Amino acid sequence: MNATFVRIDLTRQLRDVMNLMFVLILPALMYVIFGLSFGYGGESAGHGNVKFYIMASMAAYGASVAATAVTGVAAVELMQGWGRQIALTPLRPAGFVAGKAVVALAITALAIAVVFVVGAFTGARVDSAWMWPVTFLIALVGSVLFSLFGYAIAMLFKSDSAMGVASGALVILAFLGNVFIPLSGTLLQVARFTPMYGYVGLVRWPILEGAQAQSPEVDPLWGLIANLVAWLLIFGIVAVLAVRRGQARR
Amino acid sequence: MDTTTAALELQDLHKTFSVDGGRLNAVDGISLSVAPGEIVALLGPNGAGKTTAIDMALGLTDPTSGTVSIFGGKPQEAVRAGRVSALLQTGGLLRDLSVQETVLAIASLHGAQDRVQQVMEATDITRLAHRKVVKCSGGEQQRLKFALALLPDPDVLILDEPTAGMDVNARRAFWATMRRDATAGRTVIFATHYLEEAESFAQRIVLMNAGKIIADGTTANVRALASGRTVAATLQEHGTIDAADPRLAELKALDGVTAVVVNGPRITVTASDSDAVALHLLTRTGGTNLEISAPSLETAFVQMTNEPAAETAGA
Repeated sequence: MNATFVRIDLTRQLRDVMNLMFVLILPALMYVIFGLSFGYGGESAGHGNVKFYIMASMAAYGASVAATAVTGVAAVELMQGWGRQIALTPLRPAGFVAGKAVVALAITALAIAVVFVVGAFTGARVDSAWMWPVTFLIALVGSVLFSLFGYAIAMLFKSDSAMGVASGALVILAFLGNVFIPLSGTLLQVARFTPMYGYVGLVRWPILEGAQAQSPEVDPLWGLIANLVAWLLIFGIVAVLAVRRGQARR
Repeated sequence: MDTTTAALELQDLHKTFSVDGGRLNAVDGISLSVAPGEIVALLGPNGAGKTTAIDMALGLTDPTSGTVSIFGGKPQEAVRAGRVSALLQTGGLLRDLSVQETVLAIASLHGAQDRVQQVMEATDITRLAHRKVVKCSGGEQQRLKFALALLPDPDVLILDEPTAGMDVNARRAFWATMRRDATAGRTVIFATHYLEEAESFAQRIVLMNAGKIIADGTTANVRALASGRTVAATLQEHGTIDAADPRLAELKALDGVTAVVVNGPRITVTASDSDAVALHLLTRTGGTNLEISAPSLETAFVQMTNEPAAETAGA
């Protein structure tokens, strides 16, 4: 890994308008709309208030978009010739991946931090202070799932359109996964099997411990972890198969 | 084999791609040895296998069979040591980086930040430093890629169509840069479509067609592989030579004459024995303003790449 290389990559990602819009501004804006505009934000929810619940949800969404974008764009760029340029330098593939991981984590952390800062200044509240850093860390670590998702989509579509597909899919998955709007009934049953459900449930674990906003049901911790692990495996396998398919063509 | 280690050595290199419903021998058994300091042009029509051969020479693609060595070692080792670098034909730049950031990023990987300024000046991209890559013209992007190739201060420089997308002036400027800064004892191997670039810059030409090397030699050698020279002369002061002119029939009857073309008052004769034709024109036909020309590299190129590879092997 190389500090100058990572710094240039990071600067470049941060001035990308798409990143700024969808990764940093949109999640915070949605928190403001859903959490502050309807007047129920101050009501209590689990170990905190509704504002914190919505803040954690939007931070999870922002983190998933950030992780998907950084890895997906990196994969597309590698396929489009930057990989050949890199291959002509002493940087080994492991070093490249490590550098990208740092960039992805940095952008993801920033995406979460923006929503958290807006939340902190607008009355998001939890009973214990430790829930802030723990919620932050769960969102950050769990976003690895979406790095794999972004990589798999990029390897399947192999072009710039891959990122449009991925971010569109994320919006749908967020609705289906109980992220934006609290679901109940049949939709909630379906939601349990979608990729964002386990992740966002874990991010909300410190405040809700598996409880639902619109349903009396309570998810066990193992259920949420099982969802996350299953989707990690699925995206991982898809990514590996897509790489193999790409190599077979050569 | 001589006592010095070859800068680049390819031995019986093959690369087969599986394409829909069959196999394609992109590179079909090429062997090549380039001595340190040599400047070699790699010529051939599209699909001749030049880029695939270059990819294997750089270790970007593994050969199906055969070996590649750069200064006796593996190409990947030479790349890591900065002994070989290349300007690649496809892609290779990030659109949203500035020119300076691109150079700095690659320089940092080579540990060559101290060369950034020098290389940018040598390739004349200093004034583009803050321009985004996406806003650079094709020629400017090629110069940037050239700068990246120079960063590790390589012993072997491989250029795959370095002047693609440049206009005539940009091409001249590029080769002027090459002469001034880039060669300095380096081994240079470049693929090009422009024969005059090969002719004026390379000492040696390797001609490829259909995955094979069909000619390898000095520019003069390769040219001479094209059959025949042309002899032109003026036969009358004005007007057009009559097709029934008996002198035309006499010329056609000479040994080794393959074509006689009338062009107004002048004729152009293509023949294997140009001296005999010249003598005949001067002494028997009253010809004046005689011109004898060797075939151009272009003639050789067109002749050789249009013939089946097997019939034109070796030089």
